[in-house]
Amino acid sequence: MPAPSRWMIRCSLIYLLTGFLIGALMLISKVQPTFAWVWALLPIHIEILIFGWIIQFTMGTAYWIFPRFLEDKSRGNITLANNMVMILNSGIIINILTYLHFFSYRFTILGRSLEVLAVILFVILHWKRAVSYRG
Amino acid sequence: MPRIARTFIKTGLFYFLCALLLGLSIEFPVIHFPAMQPLFWHLLMLGWISQIIFGVSMWMFPGRTREEGFIAQKWAWITYFLLNSGLILRVIAEPMTSYSSQQVWKILLITSAVLQVIAVASYIIELWPRIQSKKQRRKNRRNKTKK
Repeated sequence: MPAPSRWMIRCSLIYLLTGFLIGALMLISKVQPTFAWVWALLPIHIEILIFGWIIQFTMGTAYWIFPRFLEDKSRGNITLANNMVMILNSGIIINILTYLHFFSYRFTILGRSLEVLAVILFVILHWKRAVSYRG
Repeated sequence: MPRIARTFIKTGLFYFLCALLLGLSIEFPVIHFPAMQPLFWHLLMLGWISQIIFGVSMWMFPGRTREEGFIAQKWAWITYFLLNSGLILRVIAEPMTSYSSQQVWKILLITSAVLQVIAVASYIIELWPRIQSKKQRRKNRRNKTKK
């Protein structure tokens, strides 16, 4: 498994646990109103589990498992792949910090833009790898 | 495909159908009970998508044991049982807490939340050591054959 995949999958597992902990507190708050403050974390729960867990895990696994290039047995430009990992996680973290009111609410535009940029890099990296080498 | 992966995937397919049926029933005001929306989303994202990811990753990630059975694959099976018992408890207890103020439904809802968190922790215990580079994999294989 290549390094970018290992990083993405490890990060996604951390997000998974964090997202579930927040979700569990929200579920408990339905019967224990002392935890009602946790509902302020709903956008973070969604961001973490959709982008941090599901999307990141899928992207990391795809980078590992898609067919490699025949000529040099590589998975394409490794710098581009490392940047994809960093940009995606920066986007997620900026969004989380914005939802926590560390930044102005407009910073989600930056967070989402970084996520879009990461997906563009993902498409560039995988477009030519979506092939069959059988005839 | 190992039994654990097949079980995860088939259970996931079952939840997929249940989630979409619930989503369809939301459209009919005649069929209504509390917490339909959150149940729909959690049956879909947890019961279907996350469960499929769990099953396929336990099958495809390097370093899985070829031996079948609960003891050989204990963390994977613990994940399966806790995740699904947690989800089923939630499906029952969440609407019931709106109908009844009995303590039992509150306890069941809290239990479902705790079970699901422990399930995810077990999944991470199973998968984390299997996130390996080719080099680490070869090294592990060599160590195993030496033993």
